Amino acid sequence: MALKFNPITYQSHKLPSFALPPMASLRSPKFFMASTLRSGSKEVDNLKKPFMPPREVHVQVTHSMPPQNIEIFKSLEDWAENNILTYLKPVEKCWQPHDFLPDPTSDGFYEQVKELRERAKEIPDDYFVVLVGDMITEEALPTYQTMLNTLDGVCDETGASLTSWAIWTRAWTAEENRHGDLLNKYLYLSGRVDMRQIEKTIQYLIGSGMDPRTENNPYLGFIYTSFQERATFISHGNTARLAKELGDIKLAQICGNIASDEKRHETAYTKIVEKLFEIDPDGTVLAFADMMRKKISMPAHLMYDGQDDNLFDNFSAVAQRLGVYTARDYADILEFLVNKWKVTEITGLSAEGRKAQDYVCGLASRIRRLEERAQGRAKQAPKVPFSWIFDREVHL
Amino acid sequence: MASSTGLSLKFSPLSTSFKQNKVLLRGICNVNSVSLPSRGMRLGSLRLRVSCAAKPETVDKVCSIVRKQLALPKDSPVTGESKFSALGADSLDTVEIVMGLEEEFGISVEEESAQHILTVQDAADLIEKLVEQKSA
Repeated sequence: MALKFNPITYQSHKLPSFALPPMASLRSPKFFMASTLRSGSKEVDNLKKPFMPPREVHVQVTHSMPPQNIEIFKSLEDWAENNILTYLKPVEKCWQPHDFLPDPTSDGFYEQVKELRERAKEIPDDYFVVLVGDMITEEALPTYQTMLNTLDGVCDETGASLTSWAIWTRAWTAEENRHGDLLNKYLYLSGRVDMRQIEKTIQYLIGSGMDPRTENNPYLGFIYTSFQERATFISHGNTARLAKELGDIKLAQICGNIASDEKRHETAYTKIVEKLFEIDPDGTVLAFADMMRKKISMPAHLMYDGQDDNLFDNFSAVAQRLGVYTARDYADILEFLVNKWKVTEITGLSAEGRKAQDYVCGLASRIRRLEERAQGRAKQAPKVPFSWIFDREVHL
Repeated sequence: MASSTGLSLKFSPLSTSFKQNKVLLRGICNVNSVSLPSRGMRLGSLRLRVSCAAKPETVDKVCSIVRKQLALPKDSPVTGESKFSALGADSLDTVEIVMGLEEEFGISVEEESAQHILTVQDAADLIEKLVEQKSA
C-alpha cells in the first residue's frame, strides 16, 4: 500500500498518519498539556514567529513510577557498582578525537587535511546528510544527560553525587561527548557541508530538548536507553560500512569506534533491565509494552534548521533508503531485546502482565509484515534540498 | 452515486420501520429524510453525509475485520459509528486494519485517505468508493 509505516518517524511532532485523537484525550486531565504543534497550520505560515522549531505534541507525563520503587534502585547500588560500572572504560584507555584527525602540531598537518578532503569529495551528498544527522544527534548530548537525570531513584542529585547510578551517568556522558566532538571536527575539515547550518540545527535541537515519554520512571528510562544504544550501534555500524565501501577507511574507523562504544553501552543498559526483569518481572514487562506502544521516539526528532519543517522526516527517509537505519532495524532491535531479556519465558505474570508479554512478543513480526507491504508498494521518492549541504538535493 | 439506501441496521428501534420503508427509500442516499417526529435533520448520531453511506454488508465486513484485529469479545458492540480509537485500536492496529481491508476488498488505500478514517463507517464508505473507482 502507499501507506508508509515508518516507526522511526512515527512518534514525531506530527500526529500519526491515521487519524487518532490527540493523545490528550486518552489521558486523565491531571497530566499537563504539552505545547501545541508548531507551524504545521497553514494559516500561520505567513506569520512565522522567529523561533519556530517543533515541539512535542503528546501530553507530558511525569513521575509515573510509584515512589516506593525508588527503594529498588537504592538497593541495587552495590550491584550496579560491580556489574554496570565495569562497562565503563577508564579514561586513560579511551580513544580521543585527536587520534582520528589531522594533527595540527605535526608537519604533515596540511597534507593530512588535504587527504581527508580528497577522500570526502568521493562521498556522495546523501551519505553526508545521514552522517550530519547522526552528528547532530550526538551533539545534543546535554538533552540525554538531562533525561537520565530526570529518572527517579537514579538521578545525579548534586551533579557530583557518588551513587553508582550518578557515576555511571556522568561517565557515560563523558564517553558520548567524544562522539559529537569527533564527527564535528571531521565534518568541519571535510569542506563538504554547511557547518553554520549544522551548528544552527544543533542549537535549535538542544533548545528543543525531547521527551522520550519515560515519565521520570527508570524502568521506562532504561528500556528506552537499551533500545537507543542498540539503534545507534546499528546506525554507526552502517555508516562505517558504507564509508569503507566509499573508500574512506579513516571515516570508517571513526564510525566504527563510535559504534563499538555504543555496543558497550547497550550491554550495560540491557543488563540493568535484565536485573529489573529478575526483581520485578511484572512491572518490567508492563514497562516494556508501554514503551513499545508509545513507540521509541528518536532523540533528534525535533530537529530544525530554521527552514525545513520536515527536517527529521526527510533525514530519516534518507537514512532508511541508504540502509543506515530502517524500519527493519527497529523490528530487529525489538526482537533482539525480547530474546535478550527472555520475555517469552517469563511466568507468574498478572493478567495485565500477560497481555503486555503477548503484545511485546508479537510486535516485531507485525512491524516486519507492514514494512514488507510498504516496501512492495513504495513509490518513487522526491528529491529534497538539505540546508546542511547548501540546499543541494537528495532523494528521499 | 450508489443507489443503495445505506441503511445501517444498527438503529434497531427504527430498523423494522426502515425495512418496511426500504422500497420507498431506494434512491435516497441519506436517511435523514426518514420522518422522525421533530428531529430535524439529524438522526441521532448519524452525521450528515454528502456522499452515500456504504452498504450494510460492507459495514459488516469492516466490523468483522475490526473485531478480528482487535480480538474483541463477541458481545462487544461494533457498529458503523464505532470509532477505531474508542474500540482500543492503536495506530499500529489501524494500519493493520486498513491493510486487512485492502486485502479483503482488493483495493489500495492512499495515505491521505487513510488519515480521514475515524470510524467503521468512514472505512466502509471509502472502500465502496474505491471499489467503484476500480470497476469504473
